[in-house]
Amino acid sequence: MNFEAIIGLEIHVEMRTKSKMFSPSPNAFSKEPNTHVTPLDMAFPGTMPVVNKQAVINAIRVANALHMEIDHTLYFDRKNYFYADLPKGFQITQQFRPIGKNGYLTILDKEGNPKKIHIERIHMEEDTCKQLHMASYSLLDYNRAGVPLVEIVSCPEMRNGLEAMRYVEAIRNIVVYTLTSDGKMEEGSLRCDVNVSLRPYGSDKFGTKVELKNLNSLKNIEVALDYEIARQSACLLAGTPVQQETRRFDEASGKTVLMRVKTDAVDYKYFCEPNIAPIHLSDEFVDEAIKTCPELYEDKKARYEGFGLSSTDAAIILSDIEMSRYFEKAIVNAKNIKTVANFLIVEVNGYLNKNGMAITEFPLSGDNLAKIAAYQDDGYSHKQCVDIFNYCLKEGVEPEEAKTTLKIEKQISDDGLVLSFVTEVLDANPQSIADFKAGKDRAVGFLIGQVMKAAKGKVNPGAVAKIMNEELAKR
Amino acid sequence: MSYLDLSIREIHAAYVEKKVKPLELTKEALLRAKANQDNCFEYICEKEALEFAEKLTEVEEDNLLWGIPYVAKDNLSTKGIPTCASSNILKGYVPIYDARVIEILKEKKAVLIGKTTLDELAMGGSGMTGHLGYTYNPYDPDHKRMIGGSSCGSASATAASIVPFALGSDTGDSVRKPASYGGLVGLKPTWGRISRYGLFPFAPSMDHVGFFTRHVEDAAIVLNALSGRDDRDSTSSFKPVEDYLEATKAKKQYKVAVIPEIVDSISDKELLAEFNKTLDKLKENGACIDYVHMDPASLSSIYATYFVISCAEATSNNANLDGIKFGPYYEGNSYQEVMRKARTNGFSELIKRRFVIGSFALMSENQEELFLRAQRNRAKIVSEVNAVLKDHDFIFVPAAPSVAPLFNASGDKLSSEYLIADNHMAIGNFGGLPSITVPFALENGLPLGANITGRAFEDGEVLNFAKQVEDVTGLGGLSAKKEDR
Repeated sequence: MNFEAIIGLEIHVEMRTKSKMFSPSPNAFSKEPNTHVTPLDMAFPGTMPVVNKQAVINAIRVANALHMEIDHTLYFDRKNYFYADLPKGFQITQQFRPIGKNGYLTILDKEGNPKKIHIERIHMEEDTCKQLHMASYSLLDYNRAGVPLVEIVSCPEMRNGLEAMRYVEAIRNIVVYTLTSDGKMEEGSLRCDVNVSLRPYGSDKFGTKVELKNLNSLKNIEVALDYEIARQSACLLAGTPVQQETRRFDEASGKTVLMRVKTDAVDYKYFCEPNIAPIHLSDEFVDEAIKTCPELYEDKKARYEGFGLSSTDAAIILSDIEMSRYFEKAIVNAKNIKTVANFLIVEVNGYLNKNGMAITEFPLSGDNLAKIAAYQDDGYSHKQCVDIFNYCLKEGVEPEEAKTTLKIEKQISDDGLVLSFVTEVLDANPQSIADFKAGKDRAVGFLIGQVMKAAKGKVNPGAVAKIMNEELAKR
Repeated sequence: MSYLDLSIREIHAAYVEKKVKPLELTKEALLRAKANQDNCFEYICEKEALEFAEKLTEVEEDNLLWGIPYVAKDNLSTKGIPTCASSNILKGYVPIYDARVIEILKEKKAVLIGKTTLDELAMGGSGMTGHLGYTYNPYDPDHKRMIGGSSCGSASATAASIVPFALGSDTGDSVRKPASYGGLVGLKPTWGRISRYGLFPFAPSMDHVGFFTRHVEDAAIVLNALSGRDDRDSTSSFKPVEDYLEATKAKKQYKVAVIPEIVDSISDKELLAEFNKTLDKLKENGACIDYVHMDPASLSSIYATYFVISCAEATSNNANLDGIKFGPYYEGNSYQEVMRKARTNGFSELIKRRFVIGSFALMSENQEELFLRAQRNRAKIVSEVNAVLKDHDFIFVPAAPSVAPLFNASGDKLSSEYLIADNHMAIGNFGGLPSITVPFALENGLPLGANITGRAFEDGEVLNFAKQVEDVTGLGGLSAKKEDR
């Protein structure tokens, strides 16, 4: 390819505060439309905005995680335009003085090298209504009107779909672990608008920008951008200029589709919001917000790796904040954190997937999971522990009781003892040895079974198999 | 003579002495409201008022507003009572919540008699632009003179002695100018002193809840009740509320600035003679009166500055009235069509003109030259005013260049009389300063008002001096009823 792609992102994150950005209305998911609404959300004449303190704290935390300069005076502005989903006829935002500016975050590029992506600004604003378009009319749901948002605007420093995806992933990790948002792209609580243009390598001018919308998963960002870069590249090679337009990602075809051609930009007639006087944030307030910020994703990951977990395993646990919460509860009294992690990643996840369950619904307590993991560290076989695990889940009992009921006893792995059982069985079964030598692998299973029987199941099958194979080879 | 014509304190004393009951005064106020021929009312709350007053049987001796009938400008949100801001776009709108000031007066058991007319959406100063037509000045039974606006109905109703006090709002001089034409006390306190929650916004950076009374003491009583922090209006002040009634009691000696550039722009000789007489009386009374110059260029620019800022803010504040949530619904094939029809039919030409001007001032290519320049000029004027108030307690000047004008009077809108003497009171809105109008004389039976503007949060001082003006002129309790003139 002869072109370099220039990619910048604007990410809107819905904040999970108790109330909305400027109204006391609950900010929570509701299936029933128009139930979380106060007069302000519907712009009843005379209602006035009051800034949500928690939203400010969240924005400070995200800005800090992105290494930004934090403005200690809050200003809000009005963005004026008419639209059916905009109750007041303007949106309250922070156009002229965003709460944070000039930050960065580090991602890994295609080659796995760290790359700094600079972040221009982060500001607070409010969401609009949700629209539902029917055949001949539209419905409006004001539950979303006024939901607090932070918008994070990157510098145009990403060069391919993978980098953009990693950038969004990193932003998502920050907003999720600062408890700013649930960061769910599929549900629209994290929304990306991507700007992409191409230019010949070596050029310092920007090409015509295309905006991509409807990118509702990390994977889609990469797919959409790869497609779009190829499309624009083909246009340019064919001598057709790229149009300034907005395109939508069509998930089914994996392509971007034209939504509208951009004409003159709308003049939003920004001006300062007169109903909110500038709010001074004391150093103490800002410092406290940062100091009390929950542990960030990257810090947690480093800590997990410090427990001996692989980077992949740590990432699996951290891919769901509830999973990491569960994990942290489970390891409070755990002896071997790695064993707990393995149980969580393999057994617990397997159970959750099989039952279509979320970790928050998982019936076994973290403490009990740690107890089961401890049995394994104590010498019980993995299979025995899995039996206990399954029994606990099935019967809803404590691990001790499961172990007693299942009559599970610690197995012998002592080589000398195992060897004596193996020798005894081999001596008693020459035919099976002959069968094995004749290539019948099944004979080994039979022989191991005999050992287990002779030892009344108290030997470790792994140890038996190892020694059996060694002894067979000798005969 | 009826108790209804007395001051709030006198009515209260009559309640305490059981000479009269709130229900009786409520009925009388309702009778007067219904008989009113000056187009003061958007809505008379007869049923609601009677129900409310009936329950008022045990007098609250420590609550001066208990059982006092009042009216409110129809741009204050009243739960369950239609509120349309005298605009067709809000015709039929019944709010689901009370403005903070309405809520307070309910708690105080004052009795809301009706909602009063205004210039459409509070934009205007004549009382001529509401959707019900002109509101008249009760001092002129021939209906040839305006009461002024935008709080025209509240001013007219108080001047006609329908109620002892009335709520209004003041963005440029919408309480203080009609107070001047109606011989009333009109107070616009410090910005942030009274919660604006529930006041339909015109230009929030300059909007104030204000009110009319016929006595300075009554203004202090009402301010005592309405002042204070409200968490729903984040611009309302946390400053402790002083006892304003107490503040009016001991006569204080003040240094008062008279601005010659304002006074000299007035051509009405009789007015000027009366004003000078008042100044002499105040001097005798102990006031130190100084003539303090201000830059005439700054004063002449007040109106343009006010107009640009207020129109700009107004166009945004009223963008919610789009025919989807509020305003008459018209069918359309797109949201644009629905909005266009509702707004085209709902707003009068004058309002649309202001929106166009406001939008124009905010457009990115004009903002620097219009809106931001106006903002800077506003700050400059405020600093010039504050410089005057550094050495002087108040600015004291005529509130208007004349008695209530005739409806058909045509003035020169570029004369300094218009630009300065007719518009200087917006200074109080630019700086959020406490400002009060009190009558100082009658000219051919028509009242003339003087304006006192003081330092922010010195509302008590402003009231104290207003009381002194009232005392030296002897015009306390003035009303349009014949026996008072």
